[in-house]
Amino acid sequence: MMKIKYFFIAIASVSLGSCTKDFVDLTPKGAFLSDNYYANQEQATAALVGVYDPIRKNTGGFENTIAMMNAGSDDHVAGGGGATDGAGIQGFSNHTLTSTNIPGSFWNDYYQGIFRANTLLVKLPGVEMTEDLKERFTAEARALRAIYYFDLVRMFKNVPLLLDPLTATNMYDVEQATPEAVYAQIENDLLAAIPALPGDVPAATESGRITKGAAQAVLGKVYLFEGKKPEAAAILAEVNGTPGATNKYGNKLLANYSDLWVVANKFNSESLLEVSHTSAGNSDWWFWGSGADEGNTLNVMVGPRSYSRPTGSTAPDLPSGWSFNCITQDLYDAIKADPRFGATVFDLKALKAAGEADYIGGYQDTGYFLNKYLPRKSDVRTGGGAAELNYKQNSYIIRLADTYLMEAEALGSGARAQALLDAVRARVGLLPVPVTLAAIKNERRMELAGEGLRFFDLVRWGDAGAKLGSRGFIVGTSEIFPIPSRELQGTKLKQNPGYN
Amino acid sequence: MKFTKLFVFCFLSILFSVYAHAQDVNVSGKVYDENGLPIPGVSILVKGTTKATASDFNGNYAIKAPAKGTLVFSFIGYSTVQESINGRNRIDLKLIAESLSLQEVVVVGYGTQKKSVVTGAISSIRSKDLEKIPAGRIEQALQGRVSGVTIAASSGQPGATSTIRVRGVTTFGDSGNNPLWVVDGVVVDAGGIGFLNQSDIESIEVLKDAASAAIYGTRAATGVILVTTKKGKAGKLTVNYNGFSGFSSPAKTLHLLNATQYGALLNEKSVAAGGSPIFSNVSALGVGTDWQKAIFNTSAYRYSHELSISGGSENSTFYTSLGLQDQEGIVSTEISNYNKKNFRLNSTHKLSKIFTFGQTLGFSRQKSVGIGNTNSEFGGPLSSAINLDPTTPIVEMDPIKANAAPYSVNLVIRDANGNPYGISSIVGQEMTNPLAYAKTRLGNFDWSDDVVGNAYLEAAITSHLKVRSTFGGKLAYWGDQAFTPVNYLSATSNVLKNSYGKNENKSFAWNIENILTYSNKFGNHNLTVLLGQGAYVDNIGGGSGNTLFGLPISDYRDASFNFDIAQSERSSATYDLVEHKLTSLFARVNYDYNEKYLFTGIIRRDGSSRFGANNKFGVFPSFNLGWVVTKEDFWKENNVLNLLKIRGGYGIVGNDAIPDFRYLSLVAGGNNYSFGNEGEITTGYANQTLDNPDLKWEETSQTNVGFESRFFNDFNLTVDLFKKTTTGILRPINIPGYVGVTTNPAGNVADMDNKGIELELGYKKRFGKVNFSINGNVAYLENEVTYVATDSKFITGDASFQSMGAVTRTQVGQSYNSFYGFKTNGIFQNEEEVTAYANSAGVVIQPNARPGDFKWVDTDGDGSITDADKQFLGSNIPKYTYGLTLNLDYKGFDFMAFAQGAAGSKIFQGLRRLDVGNANYQTEALGRWVGEGTSNDYPRLTNNDTNGNFGKMSDFYLENGDYLRLKLVQLGYSLPIDAASKIGASKIRLYLTGENLLTLTKYTGYDPEIGGGVFGIDKGVYPQARTVMFGANLQF
Repeated sequence: MMKIKYFFIAIASVSLGSCTKDFVDLTPKGAFLSDNYYANQEQATAALVGVYDPIRKNTGGFENTIAMMNAGSDDHVAGGGGATDGAGIQGFSNHTLTSTNIPGSFWNDYYQGIFRANTLLVKLPGVEMTEDLKERFTAEARALRAIYYFDLVRMFKNVPLLLDPLTATNMYDVEQATPEAVYAQIENDLLAAIPALPGDVPAATESGRITKGAAQAVLGKVYLFEGKKPEAAAILAEVNGTPGATNKYGNKLLANYSDLWVVANKFNSESLLEVSHTSAGNSDWWFWGSGADEGNTLNVMVGPRSYSRPTGSTAPDLPSGWSFNCITQDLYDAIKADPRFGATVFDLKALKAAGEADYIGGYQDTGYFLNKYLPRKSDVRTGGGAAELNYKQNSYIIRLADTYLMEAEALGSGARAQALLDAVRARVGLLPVPVTLAAIKNERRMELAGEGLRFFDLVRWGDAGAKLGSRGFIVGTSEIFPIPSRELQGTKLKQNPGYN
Repeated sequence: MKFTKLFVFCFLSILFSVYAHAQDVNVSGKVYDENGLPIPGVSILVKGTTKATASDFNGNYAIKAPAKGTLVFSFIGYSTVQESINGRNRIDLKLIAESLSLQEVVVVGYGTQKKSVVTGAISSIRSKDLEKIPAGRIEQALQGRVSGVTIAASSGQPGATSTIRVRGVTTFGDSGNNPLWVVDGVVVDAGGIGFLNQSDIESIEVLKDAASAAIYGTRAATGVILVTTKKGKAGKLTVNYNGFSGFSSPAKTLHLLNATQYGALLNEKSVAAGGSPIFSNVSALGVGTDWQKAIFNTSAYRYSHELSISGGSENSTFYTSLGLQDQEGIVSTEISNYNKKNFRLNSTHKLSKIFTFGQTLGFSRQKSVGIGNTNSEFGGPLSSAINLDPTTPIVEMDPIKANAAPYSVNLVIRDANGNPYGISSIVGQEMTNPLAYAKTRLGNFDWSDDVVGNAYLEAAITSHLKVRSTFGGKLAYWGDQAFTPVNYLSATSNVLKNSYGKNENKSFAWNIENILTYSNKFGNHNLTVLLGQGAYVDNIGGGSGNTLFGLPISDYRDASFNFDIAQSERSSATYDLVEHKLTSLFARVNYDYNEKYLFTGIIRRDGSSRFGANNKFGVFPSFNLGWVVTKEDFWKENNVLNLLKIRGGYGIVGNDAIPDFRYLSLVAGGNNYSFGNEGEITTGYANQTLDNPDLKWEETSQTNVGFESRFFNDFNLTVDLFKKTTTGILRPINIPGYVGVTTNPAGNVADMDNKGIELELGYKKRFGKVNFSINGNVAYLENEVTYVATDSKFITGDASFQSMGAVTRTQVGQSYNSFYGFKTNGIFQNEEEVTAYANSAGVVIQPNARPGDFKWVDTDGDGSITDADKQFLGSNIPKYTYGLTLNLDYKGFDFMAFAQGAAGSKIFQGLRRLDVGNANYQTEALGRWVGEGTSNDYPRLTNNDTNGNFGKMSDFYLENGDYLRLKLVQLGYSLPIDAASKIGASKIRLYLTGENLLTLTKYTGYDPEIGGGVFGIDKGVYPQARTVMFGANLQF
């Protein structure tokens, strides 16, 4: 009987304990409550990393910026496995984007970066850390916010300008700002950030963080897109220094053009703003394209399908991919004689014809693949995660050859413009040509092919209609993306003209 | 009063047992059934003693017993009878089969109730129904046997779970719709019931209406399934064996193109797009490879053995069992099989006059080997067999080819003779030679160990008042283990470094319940009151996984975690489960007046850890009323309507099956970036979502009315009508992207209705020596979304197919996840039809279409085909589900046939990979459009499908999902008793069973039964096997 009594006592005590509200009041573990976060330097640093995270969109995830922007240009087709492989990339390629097939991530991911920057900027004053460091964090957050808005305003033009985190109560009151207001804020953020940013960072631990040179390069590009050529030339001159020589931050054109595409050459001297990729995150399908995915997805996207070589072949040993962004015959013809051809184009058509390699042609196959970002056998992940998603080639947002040509474009003519153009050509062994806008345009196409810049260049020059008309481009509409339909539901946002 | 009398009598009989002994008499007699046939093997026990005997083959018995004692007659399947001797020497007794018994009881949650006074919509299955179903997963045993419960296997992989929906889809999402499983009072998480052994089950009750389910409060919205395991009976030791073995084969294979047909179609596609033919001489290709034949096993072995021993004395009873099940899959058998071992011990002990102690304990070990993808377009043996070209050989026997690339330069997989398995040069991506694929997965398996049990102590304080405290728990371990060798399956699928990994997980759940039951009879007023309190904690635990890369071995049999592998070549992941807690108070009142007017009322208050401070607790009330019309005095006993009970009720139940902490805004990691040039990752933290402290309970209210009847003596009819309304469905709110959060906050965003009718009809009759019974059930169900939060007019569907994206949509006025896409209106037969196809303003709608392309319906009439022209194309939720069971027996022979089916749903047939242009086709493609008048429903084939004939989600992909399946046929023969007795058995029955012998359907895929989060999405589902088994039941 005693035992039974204890049994009841035990049950009664557990039971009584379970009746209170505390019993069902649990505290989350493994995460923080937002009210308590952003207290110290460690947490502020982690929050700053969160602000950087979306910059990986340049070449991270299926919906990455370079693959998308390439597909919309005259240099590439969308490609892939079929006409519906990636509705967004296909839709942009033939300029039939709608509010429903535009990948929402081109909007959302940048706004996630902006939300995190805004949150950090609000919290930073209260964080326990040195003022110097606070200044640098503030500058980095503002520079990143500017970079994200710059992509948003070029892609969507009419976007909400948010400088404070939204709440559940005010999130539906938002309206779109004018592009001018957005550009003004971008300038404002970058100008404020530049003085507080470091000129150089320790390569092993901090490369990839925004430097003075990177912010200036972005600002120069922003001015150029605004048509503020003198301001653009002035700030880009700060970055470029003497054409062909090392600038004040230690940047210099690489001697060998093809070295730009060697995976190990991360953060080389030509790089100004670079997106970092690694296989250390063991990226896998289930979190592909999310904040924890650190691999380069562009690599596998541009690889040929089912690539194989016969015994004794001289063709490179490549992993297979999904055949996106095949190079058009038009670019092939234009670049065939250029010294940069080999580094830019992987001519699998020729290799197949010679019996040196074989592959299965994908959609819109031309046989010409983007060599700059082709997946490399030596870069195939053999550890955790999906091999396809763990390529670690970094990608450039801005490199020195780009700022040379942008400054030359801003200047338009004159000795410095000529010297800048010459420097870019000389690096690949080309003789000078007289500097003209046409020469600069051609040089940009040859030098920067496949790096996702061409579409916006065409739009900036007003050439998009002429070059892309045959692809379905409609002047006055196709310059920008439609606003994703989700953003229009229950909000005050208006669709861009020409879209419904 | 009867209860009290019995109690007093028992008490007295113990008291006077010494006296009684002195007056022993010889009692003999005969035990027979309702038909007057003798029942052998009936246990006859002298109450209060261990003295017992059994009836012989003619039903005769003889025993010495006190003249004033009592005999207890018990036999499995029959109601136990206690008969006072009263000095008699001869007692002949009729035993009544339990199913006919008026005392039949139904488990109602925290107790039982006489079926005659039950007021809710509760469907039951008894052990004798289960005995004839070959042991598999318990969900499958329920399919087609209880009305209003839709069950669809998610895969034919042995041991795979089925998707169960009680009275339709109650809420949004997949796991939140699983019913609550309660095994012997222990709440076990959904899907975690694989540990149950079919032979151990005494009964399964499905509480369908809210008023019955409300006793399980917050977790009852999706229906409650109560499983009661067998308990021992006092008397002679009973040993039962049931076992079978048999062979499975595919019930159906697809008609795919042979090599010649395939070559011709590929040439046609290429030429249509302006290319050149791919094959120069298609007839030289011959028949080619039949990949399906290569993967399907037509004689997959399967067996099951179940052995139980039960018995006991008046004070202690026990039931113990052992089970062993093994089943080979019909697809790529070497990587598809399942094995289960289980053990059970249940016992009850009368500790004293007041206290009773009882326990149940079940243990099971399951091991399953799976093919990887059981319903996926991204590879696996099935998808590969469907999509691979028939021109690639299974094994490359041509020495010239076998010694050239890709075979010569890669670590390709080879057969036993050293010849390489064929690698397609035409079809790539994840489609790989399924035989080679199987070799890369050898030795991989999933496992799980489950221990589920409870212990209770009950005190019968008075004859009316009982207190019971129960402690229950489930301890589950599960995991998987896999070795992947270095291999080259294709240019796309290859592995450069081997790996060996395992995942191990553990979860523990416990609950404690204290229940007070008061039961009494005041004249004609019968009253039972139950008060209860409970605490429930689950999801205690976590898991970890480790993978080693680059082991110095090549064969899976040599794999070991003991190899010294550098830290840089290891990856690991560890996680904690988030505890889920509930605290509850509940009460139930059952009242009836003379079993004529019936009332049940339930109220339950639950607090859940999953809700915000403002809404932590929820109260769930319900009531049911019943009226047994035929008990009225004015109702004269007649042979037309023997019984009529009208009942109805209303109740509210909840659902907290949502992710934890959704009401909080958390700052979490996973927003990482890599700084520096060494590939290091820095973890980034960010606010995941916005706060929503007002997050509240999703509520499901349900009205149920119905009747139970028996008429013409032999017919039973039960009809239920219900309307179930779910309000405030919890789901992530799709907020604007510019807010900038990565996780949408949860909100109460939608409402949904389910309406239905359920009918169960039974007929039982004896014709001469033939016993005949037939039982049928049919349910009609209508699901409709009635409200979606204003900021979005719809919710993008949960089913998607490759680049089509979502193929379903959830919108007001439609059923949940209805198919959504373009509607076709025939095929353009010529250019004139293309130009003639214009809207009211004369705008040509598809100016770029070619003859042979689909004509899309321009729903909005704007003169072009855009996403705005998509429309609803049908539902994947079957409107009708039904089942039919026929039983016949004649002398020693018995026959059972069971058919089951569903109707009124569509299936998305997505067997062919969209982005693999050269993928094979089903023979339907032979009827494609090839010129004017050739086809109006299958478009032309071209590599440049600019019209999106195949790329757009349209009704072209939808097929009728109706089916009728002859699920089981069983023919048994029981040996005459005297033959059985020669080996000491009381029963020997041999049987032959056929499973899935016939399926009537128009569906062109493998199998129309496709479960999952969204039903009816077929991407190459692992089909159900057809099995023929031979088995035996033995009883000693």
